[in-house]
Amino acid sequence: MKNRNIYTWAGLSLLIAGGLTSLSAYFVFHLIWLTALGICMLILSFILIALGKAIPKLPPEVCSLLLETGIDNIATLIEELGIKSKAIYLPSSLASKYPRAFIPLHSNGSRPEITKALPQRLIARYGSSPEDIGLLITTIGSTATGMLESKPGATPDELESALTSLFTGRLGVADSTRVVCQNNHIKVEIHKPRLENGASWSHQCLGGPLATMVASVAAEAWNKPMTISQEEQVDGKYYVELEVGK
Amino acid sequence: MKLYNRYVLTVAILLLLTTVIMIATGQNSLDIYFTVYVIEALVITELYVYFNSKARRGLSFVSTILFGGFTIALCLQVVRILT
Repeated sequence: MKNRNIYTWAGLSLLIAGGLTSLSAYFVFHLIWLTALGICMLILSFILIALGKAIPKLPPEVCSLLLETGIDNIATLIEELGIKSKAIYLPSSLASKYPRAFIPLHSNGSRPEITKALPQRLIARYGSSPEDIGLLITTIGSTATGMLESKPGATPDELESALTSLFTGRLGVADSTRVVCQNNHIKVEIHKPRLENGASWSHQCLGGPLATMVASVAAEAWNKPMTISQEEQVDGKYYVELEVGK
Repeated sequence: MKLYNRYVLTVAILLLLTTVIMIATGQNSLDIYFTVYVIEALVITELYVYFNSKARRGLSFVSTILFGGFTIALCLQVVRILT
């Protein structure tokens, strides 16, 4: 027997119930309203069966397990190395294949300028100085960006549409988003977020899961490095402020 | 998942409300019931633009079936008027 989800089961049940109701109501009882009710059930059954095919096969618990394991490994690595500098979210053009986060190992307060594509390695060099070295890591945002149907344009409207599509349609982790651009800052407001934010060292360095996704998508849209300058959760809203790099 | 649930609930509530209102107004034509259901289902589906591509493909197929049914109902009505 195929592994059917709850939508498919509900759809099949409604299909049988709707078919029996409409046929018996129309041909046996001659009741138009009951036939119409049967048709309602049939329409809903088609919709449920169609949605059932779009539901991911992996249960949310398994996804959460994979997510937590991945985050935990990165957190351990960052904490062990004692890195305090903020991650720079690079677009795919600067990070090979897909957007990634770059964490400089040595920071003198100023943000390193990355002008050419970094090699696809964990420890990557971005300059000629011996200290110009950092970690190039894949984050949730890197994978989430791949879920977008097309690369968003560098406008607030397109970024807002891409983020809403990702958070609401694909991942179901928030209700909606709003994007405002001011000079070289992008402010993103996420309504009713459903992903919890940790307070570990790695979160201070990389940002929370939602901020990570926002930064990766924005970096890809603007095709410029991004840094999370601020993030906070207030009254069911999650605010992320990004700084656009050169 | 939350978006899917909200969409299914919206369609279900709207169709049931329509049925109750049409029964209350004494509507006795199955064609009208069906036409209203199809229009409502199509409009609600169009409003939910943030579904993923797989879900949208499935719902487009459902919309095509519903539109086919609507066309048949319309043709039958035209034939009935003409004859």
